[in-house]
Amino acid sequence: MANKKKRVGIFSFTCDEGCSIYLIEIFNTKLLAWLEKIELAYFLSVKDKTEIKNFDISLVEGVISTAKDKAEIEKIRAASKVLIAMGSCAVTGQPSGQRNLFNTAQAAEIEDQLKSYDYLPKCLSIKEAVKIDDEVLGCPIDEKKFIEVFEKYLI
Amino acid sequence: MHTTNLNVSINKLSKIEGHADLDIKIRDGKVEDVSLRVMENKRFFNQAVKGKPYANIPQLVSRICGTCSIAHLTACIEAVEKTLKIRPSAQTMILRKLTMYSLMIRDHALHLYYFVLPDIFGVDSVLDLVDTKKELVHQSLHVKEAGNNLSNLIAGRAVHAPFEAVGGFSRVPDKTKFSEMIEELKSIRGYILELAEILYQCDWVLKRKTDFVAIVTPDFSFLEGHICSTSGACINEEDYWDHLHNVVLPYSQASGFEFEGHPYVVGALARLNLNKDNLHPDTKRDMKKYLDVFPSDNIYHNNLAQAIEIMHSIDHSIEILSVADFKEEKLAEPETITGEGVGVIEAPRGTLYYWLGINEGKVRYANLVIPTAQNLISMREDVRDAAVKILACENNDSGHEGGADKACEEKIRKEVEKIIRAYDPCMSCASHFLRVNWV
Repeated sequence: MANKKKRVGIFSFTCDEGCSIYLIEIFNTKLLAWLEKIELAYFLSVKDKTEIKNFDISLVEGVISTAKDKAEIEKIRAASKVLIAMGSCAVTGQPSGQRNLFNTAQAAEIEDQLKSYDYLPKCLSIKEAVKIDDEVLGCPIDEKKFIEVFEKYLI
Repeated sequence: MHTTNLNVSINKLSKIEGHADLDIKIRDGKVEDVSLRVMENKRFFNQAVKGKPYANIPQLVSRICGTCSIAHLTACIEAVEKTLKIRPSAQTMILRKLTMYSLMIRDHALHLYYFVLPDIFGVDSVLDLVDTKKELVHQSLHVKEAGNNLSNLIAGRAVHAPFEAVGGFSRVPDKTKFSEMIEELKSIRGYILELAEILYQCDWVLKRKTDFVAIVTPDFSFLEGHICSTSGACINEEDYWDHLHNVVLPYSQASGFEFEGHPYVVGALARLNLNKDNLHPDTKRDMKKYLDVFPSDNIYHNNLAQAIEIMHSIDHSIEILSVADFKEEKLAEPETITGEGVGVIEAPRGTLYYWLGINEGKVRYANLVIPTAQNLISMREDVRDAAVKILACENNDSGHEGGADKACEEKIRKEVEKIIRAYDPCMSCASHFLRVNWV
């Protein structure tokens, strides 16, 4: 085959995974056409874990809330030609980074838990954590906008 | 005698909702420890809800879980309404039923086609079936799309539905689209029969003598009724908490629950075991063979139960849409802005409980019991039992030094993943049990 299929990875960090669930709804009408052009190389909702390497396009949802996750997103960034921040959390840090907006009393309540589970002092959006190439806003992602952005990279 | 020391570790279980790791420690051929760790990072909802205006809370808690956001939305709305003495109209209750049905169709279909069928056909992913089981993959997409379209039509969207609100719906669905929706729902009935047949033929058995708990709703609509158990308990929704006992699971960011002092199971299997008589007549007519399986204590029958619930959701939705005449309505208003109340519904994975305290219109506390937390203890026991059984076989099978351990590990890994998927856990939800705040 002349055109090699694009290797696509879909990754979830701290969030409700609403964007990838909504993406699966977008699949209802798009999956079979997209599979002509892409290989879904990493998507834990659909298949077993595979190695993080050589992604043409990575779609990332959620916020980064621990040092471990920060290292993970850096690894994904390094392994991806194009990285698209998927949804409001990934682009703006909210709503999943809601603890960043807590008042003093709320912050005091979660202080011990943050320490014992090795959380970062503030949640980072994907856009803050690494360089992104594109973004799709929405909670969950806007369907039309997602298709428009994603298909740009399938040509 | 062959002595086995093994650590079976699964880092990031796939094809479940959210993130979980599993470790099984085996010493001298005995299962010493099973730890299922919910690896979801906390988003601190119990703090985030405090002080927020009551009308904003349902959309906030909807973000607990993208998969079953409609369940959180609906249960929380019910809790706010009970707390503030808001009486939703009959039309609102019908729209909520349709919204819940749209969720059940999508969510059960995702679980069955994407998570369970690959195990049945011995492949990693539904994507591996695109060539070999083309027809089935097409069917899965049509079924999910029908559920998605029903969500769009009634509630505005499948994830974080915008039209469902405290006191009613902010928009009346577009009647001109009903006949097309009815046709689409009718068109997937045959697919669900095919799916049910596959699940019926599946010979997996995992018997668990346990108590099953669910709300028994008169029309199987997942919304209102008494909470009953196969052990004979029947209690009011608002009293549910008094019958539960919270068990903290070590190494996990979640806690489990016992009902009246013993482990129990919630979800589609529990609902079918307790309430199959109240399914829609068309479902009962066309799925009689499958309904005869219930009551069942085979945990894998949760899958067949989900297929039956998809059919019921289709059939009752068709009936409602065929006769519905929805009118513009104002949202029902609160009689008070201070109080406490309980909302309980049946989410796809089981009984979902919300207890809210509201003061002068602002949320004081929220306490949740989510389905996966209620199933965690049984799930862990079943994983342990399966590992013990496989070990017993392997230990009898002497003469396989060296390679045997590897084969055994692989066998255990495969089997326990299958078990965990049968329970259909939702880890996004499981990490957000909220501690009670006795203010």
